[in-house]
Amino acid sequence: MTANDANSEGFSSHISKQFNEELEQIRTELLAMGGIVERQVHQSVEALLTGDLLLAEEALAIDVQTNAMELKIDERCTSIIARRQPAASDLRLIVSISKAVVDLERMGDEAVRICRQTVELSTLGNSQHGFQEVRHIGNLVRTMVKDVLTAFARGDIEQAYKVAKSDRSVDQEYRSAMRTLVSLMMEDPRSISSCLNVIWVLRSLERIGDHSRNMAEHIIYLVSGENVRHQSLKHMKSTVEQSI
Amino acid sequence: MSEVKTANVDLSSILKGQENLKFADEEIMLNTKDLKVFYGEKEAVHGITMDIPKNRVTAFIGPSGCGKSTLLRCFNRMNDLVDSCSIGGEIILDNRNIYGKDVDVAELRRRVGMVFQKPNPFPKSIYENVAYGLRIQGVNKKRVLDETVEWALKSAALWDEVKDRLHESALGMSGGQQQRLVIARTIAVKPEVLLLDEPASALDPISTLKIEELIHELKKDFTIIIVTHNMQQAARVSDYTAFMYMGDLIEFGVTDTLFTNPEKKQTEDYITGRFG
Repeated sequence: MTANDANSEGFSSHISKQFNEELEQIRTELLAMGGIVERQVHQSVEALLTGDLLLAEEALAIDVQTNAMELKIDERCTSIIARRQPAASDLRLIVSISKAVVDLERMGDEAVRICRQTVELSTLGNSQHGFQEVRHIGNLVRTMVKDVLTAFARGDIEQAYKVAKSDRSVDQEYRSAMRTLVSLMMEDPRSISSCLNVIWVLRSLERIGDHSRNMAEHIIYLVSGENVRHQSLKHMKSTVEQSI
Repeated sequence: MSEVKTANVDLSSILKGQENLKFADEEIMLNTKDLKVFYGEKEAVHGITMDIPKNRVTAFIGPSGCGKSTLLRCFNRMNDLVDSCSIGGEIILDNRNIYGKDVDVAELRRRVGMVFQKPNPFPKSIYENVAYGLRIQGVNKKRVLDETVEWALKSAALWDEVKDRLHESALGMSGGQQQRLVIARTIAVKPEVLLLDEPASALDPISTLKIEELIHELKKDFTIIIVTHNMQQAARVSDYTAFMYMGDLIEFGVTDTLFTNPEKKQTEDYITGRFG
């Protein structure tokens, strides 16, 4: 029997069932954390756009869960490294998860910032300067978060590449929104306070886009073994094409 | 195959399993060409072609019965001692096939020393164990023997532990010390290549770490080839790793790459514990 025969006969999982379960559990927990962060981002943007302070409070409260999950997944990663000494794709999975939880936790922090700006904005009356831009960039970013989690669940590096590519659109929209808001502030200095709050919100959304791109890079590393961080989209694309 | 050469390496020798190996800056100590080993009718190693870089640690890993120890024993013709064993192909050391008719096997084994799984000190004193190889070469000058014994024991990281009891029996030493003594005995005759067959598998973790540290130090002076069942040990001590399965060289590459991103699925499955 050759190694290939062994694979075709269903030995593709670990000899140690417990190790299989540990890896599956940590993957599932990361996706669960991703689901919580996705909800947090969604609620924070909705709370801002609708002025729903209760929703903002809810999204703020969820952050405790996000932080706790980061610690729990981190501990599991450390324990697997210490006890199992993972290699090859198992090692890449643990390294990627260990980095992805940091990005997810920071996305949660950015959602918290958006909620705090929502509370601030509510004290400044019902000015809606820049809300159109927030809605537009918010939709782009929410799609990125959802897609990057799907890409992780499926190990789909083409989808991960699309997420990384979307980050460029978010950056462009962010710069364009900045110009609009600066013009608004120049035209109407009374709007400066509320515009500044909206600028912070946009900044947070742009950062969530950056963290989604980071996660996409971790997924490409996990699946292909190639590190595409700090590389151009063109390089990333060729890595993805070579790995499919 | 057309001959393609870089500064140091004949790339035509980079065949199956070696595609990801970049030897451009390495000097090659040994190489095998279509090496086959038979036990009677049975072919245990199926035509392996590979280069072993000088002053580097090359590890062979693979499940039991994959042919890694058989291959290791070919490098100093230990398989000659097995009646039913026959060899095909070549192993080249200094432009000469070590299986050539005019090769002096005793001299070959001086140049290519071997350490086994179980420490096997002679029932003699520590000093005489290390001096043994030199004595059978006809070296009897006390000053030369003293200097060489001290150098070998220091190189084997054993000097400080035994310098005050050099003339006591080697059999009174711990397993880890005995294995380092055997390494000292092997290097005392100044070989060029050290073959280590599971050198730490019978030792406790601390003695194992000492042997691993020693391997790291020794590679400055020797080319080391190690067979180990302990994959973490291969990952820790080696520069290059070869994965063998059922007599074939499946993948041979830079250790860092092989353990993080192997090219072959069989390698991936083995090092992640998916079959074996």
